[in-house]
Amino acid sequence: MRWVPYGPHALLFYFADAVGEDAFRKVRAITADLELHPMKGLIDFIPSFTSVLLHFDPSVVPQPQLHVLECSARLKSAMLAKPPELETKSIPVHYDGPDLKRVADHTKLSVAEVIERHSRTIYKVYALGFAPGFAYLGDLEPRLHTPRLATPRARVPAGSVGIGGEHTGIYPLDTPGGWNLIGRTPRVMFDPSRAETSGNHQDAFLLHPGDCVQFLPQGRP
Amino acid sequence: MNPEVLYVMDPGHGCHLQDRGRLGLKRFGVPSGGPMDPHAAEWANQLLGNPTDAPILELALQGAKLAALQAVWVAVTGADATANLPLWRVLRLDADDVMTFSKNVSGVWTYVAVEGGFVDTPVLGSVSTSPRIRLGRSFNRGSMLRRNSQHSFSMPQGVAGRMAPIAEQRNYAQPPSIRIWPGPQWDRFSATAKEAFLHHGWTLSPRSDRTGYRLEGKPIAPMLGQLISEPVMVGSIQIPPDGLPIVTLNDGPTVGGYPKIGLVDPADLPWLTQARPGQRLRFHLA
Repeated sequence: MRWVPYGPHALLFYFADAVGEDAFRKVRAITADLELHPMKGLIDFIPSFTSVLLHFDPSVVPQPQLHVLECSARLKSAMLAKPPELETKSIPVHYDGPDLKRVADHTKLSVAEVIERHSRTIYKVYALGFAPGFAYLGDLEPRLHTPRLATPRARVPAGSVGIGGEHTGIYPLDTPGGWNLIGRTPRVMFDPSRAETSGNHQDAFLLHPGDCVQFLPQGRP
Repeated sequence: MNPEVLYVMDPGHGCHLQDRGRLGLKRFGVPSGGPMDPHAAEWANQLLGNPTDAPILELALQGAKLAALQAVWVAVTGADATANLPLWRVLRLDADDVMTFSKNVSGVWTYVAVEGGFVDTPVLGSVSTSPRIRLGRSFNRGSMLRRNSQHSFSMPQGVAGRMAPIAEQRNYAQPPSIRIWPGPQWDRFSATAKEAFLHHGWTLSPRSDRTGYRLEGKPIAPMLGQLISEPVMVGSIQIPPDGLPIVTLNDGPTVGGYPKIGLVDPADLPWLTQARPGQRLRFHLA
């Protein structure tokens, strides 16, 4: 497994060369392992498509590079273990977004075909980023890959479902955004009040790294 | 004691609370937040004997006016905004005293600490405000700031004369060359690009905020080939296709697809974040 130092306090490990089933299984296995058995001195970890960042507290682990072998062994054994059961979360979507036609034109499909193809795949949450609760979902059918808008919108409403290049995802907050908007969901991706109620910060997020997502089309445009 | 300690007469260019930030939630896309200049923020708290990560008020640039609602010990550090009170030392305010920050002359971020620290309702374990993702509170004209009055607070002995050592009172108008570490894609940039990054001077762009600072100058050759999106640390120097660096900061994205030529050394990061638009910056390898 290749690794690089990422400044004085962090290590970045690359566990796969390409996205896909194997990389996703590793994302799930590593995330589950680090959540269940926190590593000493680890402030934070970020799993993503083919890599995982380990960020250490310098007062506990002053020189993470001295612990590369240990970290590497730990990640390898995590990847060999059986990953947790897949959790597939169903997300209802009204496919009536303003860029549905643009995606249809770009892909030379009908709007109905875009909806049918977008909703038939079970997506993998490879990573969350950009904003709290924003899940990068893969693997989008290559036929549906559509370039981002040349000029991003100043405000994309929370709950919008979009396609950006080879990714699809759901905007958790009203933010600027350049993805093609194809629909919207009433489900709330990020709600800090859910964490206050339960006392567990993770409950603020509907999707977690390693989850699967299925979109359920609601009605027809 | 009444917890309400400061009244915001004018928030100026920005008036937010920061503590150590949201830790351990980056895998859900939550940036850490926290003070843009931890060196100055920690000194303000330390002078008062507060925990160094006690909630502190972060003011941007200039224009803030804050009135004391009761007699209170304070310490102000960071950017020089022509305050009507001396910085980097402990001061006693009386009720109705007004702190004004009228004109920014060097640095960007000024910190105000009060005895005991400020309090607010935490969200995901922190009171830090991250405007981009709408976490935490923005204070406006008429807002009241509360201090921690739950614990009986006793001022450390000799606090009245306490000052930060001169060497710690930074002059942000004259930053040293900033130390960087090679970023994850350092080896994938051409020798010319690396050389150019280190030897060109850069100027801080006005299009800079708590999410990221942009650098202006002669563009450097972008990395060839594609990068699969990967984790991004605070302080990462990203090179987008236009060749002009963007340094990811406290409220920035946690995952991204731009190649990272370097990472600003965390200890030197405040020299960058305190740079004003138009200020010249230089970098060298640690």
